Amino acid sequence: MSESHHETKSGPFELIFNNLPVRTVLGLVLMFGGSYVSKNYQEVFEQISHQYGVPVDLGKTVATFGVFLIIFPLVNIFFIKPLADAIGERNSTLEQTFGEAEDLKVQMQKMRSEYEARLVETEADARQKIEAQIKEAQALRQTLMSEAAQRADELVARATQEIEAERNRVLTSIRTQVVDLALSAAEKVIAENMNTERNRKLVEDFISQVEVAR
Amino acid sequence: MEFLAGNLAPFIASAEKGEEHVGFVGILTYAIFVLIVIFCLMAYAKKGMNLRVFKNPILNCFEQLYLFIEKMCVGTIGSHGRKYVSILMTFWMVIFASNVCSLFFPAAPTADVGFNLGMALIAIGYVQYEGIKTNGFFGHLRHFGGPNLGNVLLAILINPLIFLIEIVSEVLKNVSLSLRLYGNIEGGHLAASAMNKLGEGIYVPFGAFLIPIKLLTCVVQALIFTLLLSVYISLVTHHDEPEVDHESADEKERWESGKIAEAMIH
Repeated sequence: MSESHHETKSGPFELIFNNLPVRTVLGLVLMFGGSYVSKNYQEVFEQISHQYGVPVDLGKTVATFGVFLIIFPLVNIFFIKPLADAIGERNSTLEQTFGEAEDLKVQMQKMRSEYEARLVETEADARQKIEAQIKEAQALRQTLMSEAAQRADELVARATQEIEAERNRVLTSIRTQVVDLALSAAEKVIAENMNTERNRKLVEDFISQVEVAR
Repeated sequence: MEFLAGNLAPFIASAEKGEEHVGFVGILTYAIFVLIVIFCLMAYAKKGMNLRVFKNPILNCFEQLYLFIEKMCVGTIGSHGRKYVSILMTFWMVIFASNVCSLFFPAAPTADVGFNLGMALIAIGYVQYEGIKTNGFFGHLRHFGGPNLGNVLLAILINPLIFLIEIVSEVLKNVSLSLRLYGNIEGGHLAASAMNKLGEGIYVPFGAFLIPIKLLTCVVQALIFTLLLSVYISLVTHHDEPEVDHESADEKERWESGKIAEAMIH
């Protein structure tokens, strides 16, 4: 009566129930047979109805057999099987879509984890580069500072030397001028006839003593 | 008026000497009308079947019905119960549509014992057919004999008795299925008529207030018929009873739930 019979081996029942034309013919025969029974045994049924209180008409029962014998395969082929197929197809499509979505989700999570790993790696790389640059800059600064300090020391030393030399030169010049002035003054004081060379020696010694004393 | 009454008499419920009766042609007409309505609805529902999402409301109803019956089959019969969805759904649709027909017309196919008896005989015949197909002819007969009692004397005394009771029970399943449906639908009609008579004097159709309950009866009776059929199929397509040998706890639970459902409905 239903699709289940397709899988059974063919016996007399299957031969009748699996064959749609045979079923249809049998159903029509039963419907007309029911009509015949109902018409010709009406009095018997009415008698039963009066006796037992149940209005039974076996002709209708036989005809109902026929009707259902026809409509079971019709309903199944016309509607239930397509409906089951449509529901199954929709379910499989949904399952497929959910599977694809799940795959995409997994792929996305994988990409995200890869991206995060790459981001972490990039950050670490950048941090390492920045630290290296900072170290290099600090080293350069140290070098520049030491060079500058060295240069400043050199400049200071050279300036000190120049100042010393200039001071010596100025002192020598002053000393010469003082000697000259002293000699001039002594010449004027002592007047003439004096050994100029000897006097100069005396004066220079005196000045030297004076310088030492200073 | 007499002309109309005379010509429509086979198609409508006619009251004669206090008895309501619809003839063969009348029931056949109602049955054809019900089938036309069902096929029209199915044809309309098929329009939205090729879409990815079912938007057709009628198709949605059919889909829910299909899923409900499939779940009922699998829950009651087991995983092999899906192959019975077709027959159960056809029964459900015919019974429900006939019951709904009884809400608007003076008679309906399911308000006739002959029609209901035909459906019951088909259902029980199909159950026997499935039982024979599953267990073999003698295996199916042995199934009626009850469990193996172990004692030969007990087996000789008790098993034939159980066999007899089971055979009577199988025959009476037809009667119970048909009379239950007939009683509920025809009873609804009689109750509505009686209540209408109460309001005749004041022109109030009190019987109309019964429509919600009758609508509930339409659904419940269709459900009961199909549920009982699935339980009967479940009982004959199981290889053994749970006390003797059962494949799994699920099978046992399903078998017991089937028995309980049957007992509750009875």
